[in-house]
Amino acid sequence: MGDVIMRVENVGVRFGGLWALSGVSFDVERGAVVGLIGPNGSGKTTLMNVLSGVLRPTTGAVYYGGKKIADVPTHEVCRLGIARTFQIVKPFANLTVLENVAVGAMYGRDGAKRTTSRAFAAAYELLERVGMARIADRPASELTTPDRKRLEVAKALALDPEVLLLDEVMAGLNLAEVDEALRLLREINESGVTLIVVEHLMKAIMLISTSIVVLAEGKKIAEGTAAEVTTSQAVVEAYLGSRFADRQARLAEMRREAEQSGRGAS
Amino acid sequence: MRRVGVGGITGSREAFYATLVLMGVLLFVPQLHNGYLENLFRGILMFGAMSLGWNLIGGYAGYVSFGNVVFFGLGAYTAAVLSAHGLHNVLVAVAVAAVVAVIFATVFGIPILRLRGHYFGIATLGLALATMEIISNLDYFGGGTGLTVRQDAFFSLYYYVMWAVCLGSLLATYAIARSKLGYAFVAIRENEDAAAVLGINTTFYKVAAWAISGIMAGAAGAVFAFANGFIDPDTAFSTDNNIFPIVMALLGGAGTVAGPVTGALILTAINETLWSHFPKIHTIFFGAVIVLVVLFLPRGILHLFRARQTARVFLESLRAYRV
Repeated sequence: MGDVIMRVENVGVRFGGLWALSGVSFDVERGAVVGLIGPNGSGKTTLMNVLSGVLRPTTGAVYYGGKKIADVPTHEVCRLGIARTFQIVKPFANLTVLENVAVGAMYGRDGAKRTTSRAFAAAYELLERVGMARIADRPASELTTPDRKRLEVAKALALDPEVLLLDEVMAGLNLAEVDEALRLLREINESGVTLIVVEHLMKAIMLISTSIVVLAEGKKIAEGTAAEVTTSQAVVEAYLGSRFADRQARLAEMRREAEQSGRGAS
Repeated sequence: MRRVGVGGITGSREAFYATLVLMGVLLFVPQLHNGYLENLFRGILMFGAMSLGWNLIGGYAGYVSFGNVVFFGLGAYTAAVLSAHGLHNVLVAVAVAAVVAVIFATVFGIPILRLRGHYFGIATLGLALATMEIISNLDYFGGGTGLTVRQDAFFSLYYYVMWAVCLGSLLATYAIARSKLGYAFVAIRENEDAAAVLGINTTFYKVAAWAISGIMAGAAGAVFAFANGFIDPDTAFSTDNNIFPIVMALLGGAGTVAGPVTGALILTAINETLWSHFPKIHTIFFGAVIVLVVLFLPRGILHLFRARQTARVFLESLRAYRV
């Protein structure tokens, strides 16, 4: 720990007259699980697009291993060791699950070293690891939602990444499926992959993240552990509005005063 | 370890072997010493090669080109120009036509393959028409009257060379569909953004697909020029030569190895039968056949041979069009 693998420096993205992101900076440590949260429209997916090199930031830059990600063509970002999933899953519908994953193994970081059949073998091993081997020959178009999400993760893993960006891989899953997804993510992380996770499910993200970055209206409003960000007034305000945040802050104040006066009386 | 499914994007393996057998049989057509049949089957081989070419960019990479005739026309004119300069060797013409196709596909592919979907189709159509107009207006290419090509060999040679071009295109497609290259094309067809994130240099592979596609059509064009003995803009860039290969690929099964050749054989057979029975209105029947195929066999005839799915595909089409 302590070794910074990815540095986000003053990133801003402008779409026409709107700054979808502005002045966002944070570091990602090797082996960490960074949770990226924020209300709808706060710029999470835009930030994911910048981190994965799909989108070039208007200001600032993302550095990875001394390189500016924006300088690298999209298809080469994965060869640096960054892989991502898409919030709206993008399976190759007419290919089988195995073929979907094999494409990643062919063109990813170690792809050049693999023959077609070696790529298929690597893909099959990966499917066994994520528990999808039994549906390896099924066309991706026939998969259920949780399996599609899992396929998205498997495709990204086939690139042999150092950093994996996960964009809402748990959205639309039921509780049991979320537990299973969390177990998978933890296992991926334990195998040495740094995770950056965008998720709406607070419980899931609180459980898995080692640190959390909170965005609101394109700005970073808080950063820290789960406990730190949930008690931050800025975060409560962003999620629940200023009136609620003020009331909560007042309640907290009153509780403290009551405790103090209680202590004083005893 | 489990044997994993390499070769999933070749389409039916049996259909491919059947096509190889068919190609073997077609090698003996000139032995029949029947000029009509030799011409007919040389046409099937020519369309087979062009359709295989279209299949790579349209069927595998998913970029529907409406202008692949440009490669055929350039190939034909390459042969004619070489011939005008005293070079009457059909094999040399095929090789030069292939080089011309690659150069053309690279120069124009890089800008127009940025366009997606219909826009790419329209751009290719415009490119083909513009090229035809330019050639029609240059005296070097004989202008509107065209160029003659000297036939400097025994006539059946052109049949054998066309056969080789078609077989070469078929085997190349099979090899591509079993390689990483084929999977790059298909990944681009299925989802270009996802393909790029998985490490596929989409621009490079799209241009590669179009260039290989052009080699097949250009080689067929070069042989056609020799067999025809004469080339003008209307024959070289004819609408039939543009549309037939597409319909053939769709009819046989786009995105499969055996589909285009199967389609070329069937469509030519239908066309000949209709033409000989209804000389005046055969195009109406022909149009109807095309419409029916697209409606009811959207994935091609070869798809029917997967017995389990036949009924389903048919019913799905029925339901989709509420017939």
